[in-house]
Amino acid sequence: MPTAKKDFQTPGVIFQPATTRGMQQGINTVLNAVAPTLGPLPRFVAIERIAMRDSMPERLDSGGTIARRIIQIQGRDADVGAMFIRNVLYTLQEKIGDGTATAGVLFQSIFNESLHYLSAGGSAMRLRYFLDEAVPLIQSELDRMTMRLKGKKQLSGLAATITNDSELANYLGEIFDIIGEYGRLELRNGRTRAIEREYIEGIFWEDGVHSREMIFDKTEMRTNFEDPYIVISDIEVKEPEEIVPLLELAVKHDIKNILMICNGFSDRALGLVLLKPNLERVKICAVKTPEIAMTERIGALEDIAVMTGGQLLSSTAGDTFTSIQFEHLGRARRAWATSDNFGIVGGKGNARKLREHIATLRKGFASLEDAEDRKKVLKRLGKLMGGAATLWIGDSTPNAVEARKELAERAAEAMRGAIRDGVVPGGGVALLNCAALLRQSIPGMTDPDQIAAYRILTRALEAPMRTLIRNGGGDLDEIMAEIKQAGPGYGYDVVKREVVKMSDAQIFDVVSVVKEALYAAINGASLALTTDVIIHRKNPPESLATTS
Amino acid sequence: MTDETSSTQDFIYCLAATAGFGLGQPAACFAARNAGLFRSDDHGQTWYDATTSLQLSQAVAATAVALPHDFERYHTVLAGMAGGLLRSVDGGKTWSVPPVPTPPPMVTALVLSPSFSSDGIALAGTMEDGVLTTSDSGYSWASWNFGLLDLTVLCLAISPAFRADETVFAGTETGIFRSTNGGRAWREIELPIGYEPVISLAVSPAYQDDHTLYAGTDTQGILVSHDEGDSWARLGEHFHGEPVNNILISPDYALTRALVALSSGQAWISRDEGTSWSQLWSDLSEAGLEISALFTPAGFESGQPAFLGLYGGEIRQITFP
Repeated sequence: MPTAKKDFQTPGVIFQPATTRGMQQGINTVLNAVAPTLGPLPRFVAIERIAMRDSMPERLDSGGTIARRIIQIQGRDADVGAMFIRNVLYTLQEKIGDGTATAGVLFQSIFNESLHYLSAGGSAMRLRYFLDEAVPLIQSELDRMTMRLKGKKQLSGLAATITNDSELANYLGEIFDIIGEYGRLELRNGRTRAIEREYIEGIFWEDGVHSREMIFDKTEMRTNFEDPYIVISDIEVKEPEEIVPLLELAVKHDIKNILMICNGFSDRALGLVLLKPNLERVKICAVKTPEIAMTERIGALEDIAVMTGGQLLSSTAGDTFTSIQFEHLGRARRAWATSDNFGIVGGKGNARKLREHIATLRKGFASLEDAEDRKKVLKRLGKLMGGAATLWIGDSTPNAVEARKELAERAAEAMRGAIRDGVVPGGGVALLNCAALLRQSIPGMTDPDQIAAYRILTRALEAPMRTLIRNGGGDLDEIMAEIKQAGPGYGYDVVKREVVKMSDAQIFDVVSVVKEALYAAINGASLALTTDVIIHRKNPPESLATTS
Repeated sequence: MTDETSSTQDFIYCLAATAGFGLGQPAACFAARNAGLFRSDDHGQTWYDATTSLQLSQAVAATAVALPHDFERYHTVLAGMAGGLLRSVDGGKTWSVPPVPTPPPMVTALVLSPSFSSDGIALAGTMEDGVLTTSDSGYSWASWNFGLLDLTVLCLAISPAFRADETVFAGTETGIFRSTNGGRAWREIELPIGYEPVISLAVSPAYQDDHTLYAGTDTQGILVSHDEGDSWARLGEHFHGEPVNNILISPDYALTRALVALSSGQAWISRDEGTSWSQLWSDLSEAGLEISALFTPAGFESGQPAFLGLYGGEIRQITFP
């Protein structure tokens, strides 16, 4: 069969100065689209729809998402630059959920100012060395400014800074005051135009009973067990004989209620446990093993085992119900199940083991880089904290609901970081304070590349505040002069249009977000500056070749 | 003690009294005991069963009792029992059994908000159900243990500035948890002793200024924090290996720096923030009597009265040496 290949551009090797010219054009194109979104009064970016072109364009104010939507720009060299910065911003968003506009503004300033210096004969590699050298200095200054947020009011203030949505911010402040950095928050599409929240005690999974016959409270359509025993497994019950040892165990130990987590429960086995004489002795409610992917499933079952003090019976380890022992059973104060969910309240496992287990998961979480892996561990940690919050997000149109939900997701991620790592004065004030520190250290330097690097960074660290004021429609020079006169800690409240002490005005930035944004910007700009050659490829990889 | 129920098996968990008790003014004291909830209206001369109006077929152990500081005006008494709670709004004459989450909890500790008469907030620690809270003066109770990873609560302590800071501490079998939102959510506190049981807690009366609290452990002595529980230091080796069952802080702690601790049936006093300790009423331990509960109506100065709950159920009035 003949293979028709798409008309890809011709291959080529691009050298300086075309490399830098192209990269700069692409980088600035993307960053000029991102910069207007910085701050509480952002301008929006409208993204043309690929399908349904007559519908409303997608309106975005998230730098990372905007960058991700740009999948190609005109000019091959410029496209390389655009894809470079796209990757920097989107990776940052995946990692910490916020800070992409700040990173973009910092990146743009460092990159463009550095190119000026390099065109005057500076060394790119030495400049990169000194730019990287300044990172720990700035980060330690940020650490020095870090403070902890306490209570609903302060957390709501932070949420308001991130979302510029007072209703959403109030709910997020209340929720994170309760669930903390590792707590479980479910974001769902609202049932009305308003935002609603709900708290659920205990741990629950989105897996329900194997058969509605096992729902014992037919009025509430729910099974409620007090002081139940819990079987924790991913084994499938096929034959009634397999369940007999468990029934015998129940009779022997006078067990009245069993929540049985298993991968399947046959009708014949169901017939046995629902026999009236058996039901009078013990009620068994079989629920589906949570999670689908094997590693997540085993993780969930391990968590239940630690929480309830039971032992996991694993099909992969060759365990069966015929050899079940009393010590395999977990215990809890309460358990419940419906056709869609089951939950456990007050697991009776060893609290010390549970806390050690959680500490191990937290340690693992802190060292994970991959966003998906972090999400999985966070989900487990959230469940183990013993409760969950659900935020039902409403708005006027489905698009608005989606946008608000995405905003809530980003804010939630940033708030977890804020509780975990602390906050610094917001509105670009923290970075402005760092600029003052760098400026002070320049007079003692003799190396021209070092001096240039520190001057470039000094200007870059002022850029977020300048952009923020510009985006808010303020008079840049007048306001900057007023801020400098007011002293450290003061900045511009873009919404109220006045110079304020940021901590008094509850305007904060998450320190980990600022640090990551700073690192992404300096590291990314350094890499871009030391890129000398672009190679354009003739064909895409074989696997992407299309056939007719 | 002059009731007829004291026996070698009886145990006094706690004593709670209205202002003026032991000081010659009309006042009442409640004793939470294995034999039930008892009351004295004559400064401890005689005691009687405070729950006779319930007409219980058998004695139910009372494990905790708490009164608001303005009891004379408000008349509410809350008591923790084996299997639930009791509430009286007429000073203990009649009682109601408020609904609690099932299965029935075993209450281990009770604390009331300093503004209980206006906010109606109280918290009850339980053996297996974490902390139950009420915000309607004990009429209804709910469990909300978000972040409380250990549901075996052995003691509670509430900030004197609770109205402003909403801070509560819970001592559990694996350490201390802190809530800064009135018990709606809890956070672990890292201790230098690892996951060890904390069986008593005491918050400084000047907590909003000195941010100080003490924790008595099962085997690791006493710990102190001067920053609201963020960091802790061990207080010498005095009680090492011995359970510190109760810690009381002098009402004028800011001036006297005085503490009293109950450990292994003996009472100890420190007048230097817990650095050094001397035994109180050593003649009691020489006579083989062990103290399980202590109530001090007027501080720890010499000559001030103290009420001791002794193993076996006797309650004895004594003065500070």
